[in-house]
Amino acid sequence: MAGAGPGKALPVRRRRRHPQWRGLLYIAPAMALVVVFFVMPVLFTGWMSLHNWPLLGSPRWIGFNNYFRMANDARFVSALRFTTYYTVIVTIAIFAVAFPLAIFVEKHRRFVGAYRTIIFLPVVVGLASASLLWVWLANVDSGFVGPALKALGVVEKSPNLLATFDSAFFTIIVMVVWKIAGFTMIILLTGLQAIPSELAEAARIDGAGRWQRFRYITLPLMRRTIALALIISVTGSILAFDQFYIMTSGGPQNRMISVVYYIFNQSFVSFNLGYGAALSIALLAILVVISVMQLRLLRVGEDRA
Amino acid sequence: MIKRLLAATSIATLCLASGASAAEKIEMWVRTGIGESFKKVVEAYNASHENQVAMTEVPFSELVQKYATAIAGGQAPDALSLDLIYTPAFAAAGQLEDLTDWAKALPYFNSLSPSHVKLGTYQDRIYGLPLSVETSIFAWNKDLYKKAGLDPEKAPTSWEEIEANAEKIRALGDDIYGFYFSGGGCGGCMIFTFTPLVWGSGADILSADGKTATLDTPEMRKAVDIYRSMVEKDLVPASAASDNGVNFLTFTNGKIGQQSIGAFAIGTLVTENPDINFGVTLIPGVNGGTSSFAGGDNFVITKGTKKIDAVKEFLEYTYSMDGQKVMAKYGSLPTRGDIADKVLEGLDPRMQVGIKAIEVAKTPYTLQFNDLINSANGPWATFTNAAIYGDDVDGAFSNAQSEMQSIIDTGQ
Repeated sequence: MAGAGPGKALPVRRRRRHPQWRGLLYIAPAMALVVVFFVMPVLFTGWMSLHNWPLLGSPRWIGFNNYFRMANDARFVSALRFTTYYTVIVTIAIFAVAFPLAIFVEKHRRFVGAYRTIIFLPVVVGLASASLLWVWLANVDSGFVGPALKALGVVEKSPNLLATFDSAFFTIIVMVVWKIAGFTMIILLTGLQAIPSELAEAARIDGAGRWQRFRYITLPLMRRTIALALIISVTGSILAFDQFYIMTSGGPQNRMISVVYYIFNQSFVSFNLGYGAALSIALLAILVVISVMQLRLLRVGEDRA
Repeated sequence: MIKRLLAATSIATLCLASGASAAEKIEMWVRTGIGESFKKVVEAYNASHENQVAMTEVPFSELVQKYATAIAGGQAPDALSLDLIYTPAFAAAGQLEDLTDWAKALPYFNSLSPSHVKLGTYQDRIYGLPLSVETSIFAWNKDLYKKAGLDPEKAPTSWEEIEANAEKIRALGDDIYGFYFSGGGCGGCMIFTFTPLVWGSGADILSADGKTATLDTPEMRKAVDIYRSMVEKDLVPASAASDNGVNFLTFTNGKIGQQSIGAFAIGTLVTENPDINFGVTLIPGVNGGTSSFAGGDNFVITKGTKKIDAVKEFLEYTYSMDGQKVMAKYGSLPTRGDIADKVLEGLDPRMQVGIKAIEVAKTPYTLQFNDLINSANGPWATFTNAAIYGDDVDGAFSNAQSEMQSIIDTGQ
């Protein structure tokens, strides 16, 4: 994959006349976008994080005090704890649903195109709209779930799903899985389809069972695909905000404050832009570390040579 | 064409040069959600004055950010209708014009809504003056009272009475409830409707200087017990537990027997839900007494605006009999106590209760209102839900008390 430079096949003389900057020129537009929309904001955020930067009034240099404050911030720690909890649960749930679905829609069967479309449909709904839809579904009086349970005689009184932590958390997990699983399924599907069918056939001739084929052929060959799906899912979950903001406004008794929610609150409710910036930088560092760890664990890149 | 344009510009220049007689155009921002009264007073002012007010509505949740960025970019409006609880924070940030001398010279200065003036004062200088006033009051549905065999004209005077009435109303049917409140962590709703229970009996959630949290009082314990008991007895709809303020006016559906609401809502009920036959009274305290939350907007002027005289003229107009009448007609209570009775003449008599509430009303004075009270994730909002719906009341008290104190301390 990597290593094949553009000038490899060209004669040496010509390469000298067109030095490296030509390659730079090609990627310049992309680089410009990255610099303007990523590098500069990050640098500016870093600069802000060293200030007491109120929304109104003038910023004041305070060095690393925002970072010291973070270390003793119990609310930040509990936001981190909740985000971790959410990420673990929702990632497991998404994979537990998406993997069987991917295997299901991979086989050529009747209506498979329709299945794929239906399962993928929720992905194209915006997360905010999906959250609002589920707020309605979960509404105790005029919604769907509670009144339906009551009509079926399962419960005596329509339950308010968003009023207690457990039921609200469960509702949000179901919503996110409904919304995201289709996307993960498509990623896993491409991985499944990239596996040559001869391999599975050969294994079957050698007497490998269904589970053995999955464990020793499918899974190892899908390592990169799984890594991609995992990183997207984990990163997305760590950055979760909309569903908590819209569906529970932070949950019963503040128990659903994710890290991004906390950053939002610090910046735009408490007007501490500086502290919010410091928290953002910390979150960026955490995400980089987690992504590197995932790539290591799944040994992506080792087989490059 | 060009000649005409040139002529027009030179006339305009002449007008500018001749100074005072030129009409000014005041840029003014107002937050959404405070009803029609301000729009109408602007219309009335523009129709009768040479100076004109150009009003821009800004979503209330974005007003602070937008104003801050506008100041930074030199595009700030000349004046602002600002939720009064934010006035101390804005004044402390040094962005507002000092109005002290002018305000004190107003002949009716002493009869302006005291809570508003107090919130508009920072370090003994006045930066904000009352523009619109709203108070919280207790409303009951007279038709449901009658059906439940209660006297529809008799206002309840204690929470024991309210709870007993709620039980009788609840017995009327499956979807008829005795009481309602937005209990899903709506700090703004609960400071508005629930703190009067403790204020009325002399307790408060913050010390007078705003530097100590005093949440855990016998009065607050009693208030929490009253609400808990009504929830346990199923007198409150289950949806209240997760209502973050969206359904604050549930009373208007006609299936709620009693609820504490705002005086603005009297106007809404009278004009938009004329079929609801309701009475209003002051919110009783837990141990007797009555209280209310004085809310509404303060009028503030951006520091350094060049049109300050025109802005002052506009504000004086809103304080005039005409201005006050227009505002009151569309639901804002009179800001001037001295002419309140005359202003309300001929309007719905229930507005008088809203006026009476101003005398007993309070507003917490703190630079951190958003953090402490209003934020859906602040300690007050969390406390109201945890104490009324949670299993651990003591824990709710101690958590909120310590978190409020720590927010106050880090803000010093």
